[in-house]
Amino acid sequence: MKPGYKRVKRMTAFMRINHWVVAICMVAAVATGLYIGHPYYQTLIAEPAVDKYVMAWNRWIHLMAAIIFDVSSVVIAYLYFFSRFEKPYKKLLPTPKNIREFIAVFVNLITFNRVKKFDSSHSDSFNTVYFFIFHLMLVWMLLTGLQLYVQGLESGHSSIGDWWPAMLHLVTDWTIPFTGGTNMDVRISHHTTMYFIIVWVMFHIYYQVWRTIFWQEGDIAIVFGGSKFVKEK
Amino acid sequence: MDRRDALAKMFSAKGVRVDTNRGEAYYKRLRETMERRLSELRNAPAATKMDIHKVLEAEGLSRRDFMKWASAITAMLMLPAPFTPLVAEAAELMNRVPVIWIELQDCAGNSEAILRSDAPTIDELILETIDLEFNETLMAAAGHQAESHLDEAMETFKGKYLCVVEGSVPVGAGKEWCTIGAKGETFEEHLQRVAGSAAAVVAVGTCATFGGVPAAAPNPTGAVGVQDIVKGKPIINIPACPANPANITGTILHFVLTGQIPELDHLNRPKFAFGYRIHDNCERRAHFDAGEFVEEWGDEGAQNNWCLYKMGCKGPMTFNNCSIVRYNSGTNWPIGAGHGCIGCSEPQFWDKYAQERPMADTEFKAPTGGVEKSVDQFGLGLLTAAGIGIAVHAAISATAGKKDEE
Repeated sequence: MKPGYKRVKRMTAFMRINHWVVAICMVAAVATGLYIGHPYYQTLIAEPAVDKYVMAWNRWIHLMAAIIFDVSSVVIAYLYFFSRFEKPYKKLLPTPKNIREFIAVFVNLITFNRVKKFDSSHSDSFNTVYFFIFHLMLVWMLLTGLQLYVQGLESGHSSIGDWWPAMLHLVTDWTIPFTGGTNMDVRISHHTTMYFIIVWVMFHIYYQVWRTIFWQEGDIAIVFGGSKFVKEK
Repeated sequence: MDRRDALAKMFSAKGVRVDTNRGEAYYKRLRETMERRLSELRNAPAATKMDIHKVLEAEGLSRRDFMKWASAITAMLMLPAPFTPLVAEAAELMNRVPVIWIELQDCAGNSEAILRSDAPTIDELILETIDLEFNETLMAAAGHQAESHLDEAMETFKGKYLCVVEGSVPVGAGKEWCTIGAKGETFEEHLQRVAGSAAAVVAVGTCATFGGVPAAAPNPTGAVGVQDIVKGKPIINIPACPANPANITGTILHFVLTGQIPELDHLNRPKFAFGYRIHDNCERRAHFDAGEFVEEWGDEGAQNNWCLYKMGCKGPMTFNNCSIVRYNSGTNWPIGAGHGCIGCSEPQFWDKYAQERPMADTEFKAPTGGVEKSVDQFGLGLLTAAGIGIAVHAAISATAGKKDEE
């Protein structure tokens, strides 16, 4: 380590593993989801009597990625309030301190780091709000996705029991009237939200790299090693 | 347990089986209800001289054909086989349940689907024997004569008749243009009056259920479905464009059998007909799973009956039994004929389902305004805007930005 710098821990091992699991799931869900919405390549097996299961495998991967995503979201929702490392909800509350910090970080971004009036060693309010938007979009994907999924469980039975479709109906049926009244509206909303998530990811990656370059504190290392460096005062 | 037993157990697990068997006690109770109901009907006077057996004889159909039909309908209504004689008896007593059939804003396509077959099925013939008290399309009477007949029927069978409605109800500006009868009632008043003293209302076809084609954007007449107008009455929706005669017969038969309306889903559609998606019983489903799609009309895939998903089939989002019951005497159905499902039994189908595009290419109103863009076009626009924003920020950061000192 360079003299004059100290290491600050920012992400626990679990948070990092979760980050990469979610990242892989997202790439998988987008790639397969686009295929499900509009099959963009053809099954290139001409033999009629071959076990080609292209759409089925795409759906399998999509649903698997989704369910891992969903479980991860439940855990993250728990950590928002009960994490022993850092409770993100504290940075979301609109307290004067948080609002001041949010504005200061935003000003730093739009002044291209010419103005920097905040402590960049800890997770700041701007970043937490930004992640919160992502988590809201994920919850929306979870609800609409499970609604589309439960449409295929018409019998009211599933391989893990009747409680599962019953619960899904209870929790997700409201998304139909909410999005416009038809199954198609739920699908459109699910598909459109994907684009907002991709835009979110684009800015997320850009912003972390930008911080690394302009703040000179090794921010990008947080997601790999769990820590960054800050100058000792 | 050996491997074979384990496999057999796995594939017959309780969780993956449709529960069509509700147990001895349930069916015993149901049978008693039905028998009571049928004996009441048998003692009631027949309103028409039409007898199903005479009608069948005239069409050259035997008793055996009738019983075959009865057992098929028993299965469709998800009743056990011993109920077949009851269903057959109910069909014979159909002429004791008065029906008033009114037509509103529609093309009479549902009536046509029933009436205009060159080889009518028993489903269609049964509907000929119902005690049809009033039907604008079929009746000879007109004007005041027709109106007085309607009043008489409503008075005689008050609270007992089924009100069948075909067509949507205009309630927007210009609803006065749609009037009916010599007194110039608007469709809304007409419906309210006839439905008011009915035992139950059966909305037939997508126009009557959800507004259908007249309610498609921009909906110039402000058309709505029956369930948006009639309150406080049991309403059974039988959507589809046209509604399948088998489902109309099944619903009326259920009413004759039990005096009650069948089990309905959240859109008031009978579950026996609309409980399952087209997709799940589609003969081309295997091609969907295999990723084998028709790419354009008449291509190799189309000739091999591949999946029509990429040609805009909406089977995966449409609940109906066309894939099992089919149309025109069970001859064929849209997907069998090589055209995808247009989702005609779903609300707002004309605006949201009926196009020859896969789901992802659905046109929708972008949040930017009235311009219709597909989801993917909108999404790519969004990504481009974000990309440009990031590029501009990066460029300015690189030239004018300030790096913290190391």
